[in-house]
Amino acid sequence: MKEIKGLLKKDLLNLASYKSTLIIVIICICIVGSMSQSAINYIPIMMTTMIGMIALSTFSYDEIAKSDKYILSLPTNKKEIVIEKYILVIFSILIGAILGFIITPIIINAINYFNKENSINIDYNLLLTTTIGGIFGISLVSGIQIPSIYKWGAEKGRIQMFILVFGLIAIIGGIGYLLVKANININFNMFNNFLDKFGLTLLIVTSCIILYISYKIAHKIYLEKEN
Amino acid sequence: MKNSIEIKNISKSYIGFQLKNVNFNVPEGSIVGLVGENGAGKTTTIKAILNIINTTGEIKIFGKDNKKYEKEIKKDIGVVLDDSFLSEYLTAKSINTIMKEFYDNWNEKKYFNYLKQFDLPTNKTVKDFSSGMKMKLKIAVAISHSPRLLILDEPTSGLDPIVRNEILDIFRKFIAEDEKRAILMSTHITTDLEHISDYIVFIEKGNIIFNLSTEELLENYGIVKCSKEDFKKVENIDYIKYKKEKYQYEILVQNKYEFRKKYNIGTIDKPSIEDIMLFYVKGEK
Repeated sequence: MKEIKGLLKKDLLNLASYKSTLIIVIICICIVGSMSQSAINYIPIMMTTMIGMIALSTFSYDEIAKSDKYILSLPTNKKEIVIEKYILVIFSILIGAILGFIITPIIINAINYFNKENSINIDYNLLLTTTIGGIFGISLVSGIQIPSIYKWGAEKGRIQMFILVFGLIAIIGGIGYLLVKANININFNMFNNFLDKFGLTLLIVTSCIILYISYKIAHKIYLEKEN
Repeated sequence: MKNSIEIKNISKSYIGFQLKNVNFNVPEGSIVGLVGENGAGKTTTIKAILNIINTTGEIKIFGKDNKKYEKEIKKDIGVVLDDSFLSEYLTAKSINTIMKEFYDNWNEKKYFNYLKQFDLPTNKTVKDFSSGMKMKLKIAVAISHSPRLLILDEPTSGLDPIVRNEILDIFRKFIAEDEKRAILMSTHITTDLEHISDYIVFIEKGNIIFNLSTEELLENYGIVKCSKEDFKKVENIDYIKYKKEKYQYEILVQNKYEFRKKYNIGTIDKPSIEDIMLFYVKGEK
């Protein structure tokens, strides 16, 4: 356990050199979010995604310094190294989500203070939905990217992630386009009812399952990898 | 005498390279130099010792299996790798914060004393350090938990002679402090080893060519320089390798004193480790 703490300290101290960038990113998200009423609700998604992504950047620090070999010479093992990365990413996602959930009402109150005529109501249900949506999104991305990084390295893993994200967007967009073209109407009511009742729980459970499966795969890849 | 490291028949295959049945020991209280050309198998051997790669064969450190007791063993080892360390965005001070989590014996006071002794700043990021400073920092990190064994991969490469000498002094002091300590040092700068090593293990294309005491190598080995006619008188078993130069033959012999007794030919020079390596690699038999 002490060794995992040491690995976490290593990554957090590396990220400390990133703190000014992180503050700028948070400010930018707040500015972008406050530009319109609808964008405000996406602050938790943006915040969770950005902070979760920053945690993934610790892989790049390790790769640039070729730290892998040195870290494996310390009193630790591959299992602890993989566990530490997942702990870091999960905590970053949660911090991003909590930060987004707290900052959004503050921004809305600030906007309402300056613009009393068109005041915005804080919709906590929507806020919770977007926060959990953000958690799910970045869990999915991290869940795919971490094993990819262990397999191909941080740089190639990043390229692979972009291909994957754009691929998913293209597939979903393509399916939607084909449905519209073919005049197929799907009754979403059943889905909507189900999602209204269990959607958020389902997203949280799915996020946990994704990260667990991802950990198992990443651990297996790293064990077989020759450093 | 106990061994800090015992390596028995380790083998490893990569595409285009094979480490073949490597055997050698690192006795307590000694400095063992692992020498060889780039790509000869030095780093692969070190990776095998540290269980970074999977190999066949048996490796024991402090008498224990290096896989089974990996974490326990590594708490008593200090490692310096030429091409791998923590991120350069860290400072020497933050490295202390990290390292004390890994080693129960981590001695903060000792670490900062080393930093002071080596003139290393504590709050500057490592990326602003010179090559010599970086190497000194790696060494300070490796020895601040008073390990019983130091494993050094090319610790002096790319450094100027003054810094190299300072670093070799650190290793001398480290060994002198406790007779149970040992150092395994891989390098291709063989002159460094002539000054500090007790044994030399020469590896070439994944094979151990020789494993001898440095004293024996430097005191008994000799290079005989003679004419072609004299060379023809020398029996095959009396020399290791020969080289045909423009005007003479050069012969590497294992014991120059015995050779001199048997053959009174040519002149005999004292070889350097580098000369001996070159004979083994480039010489003929």
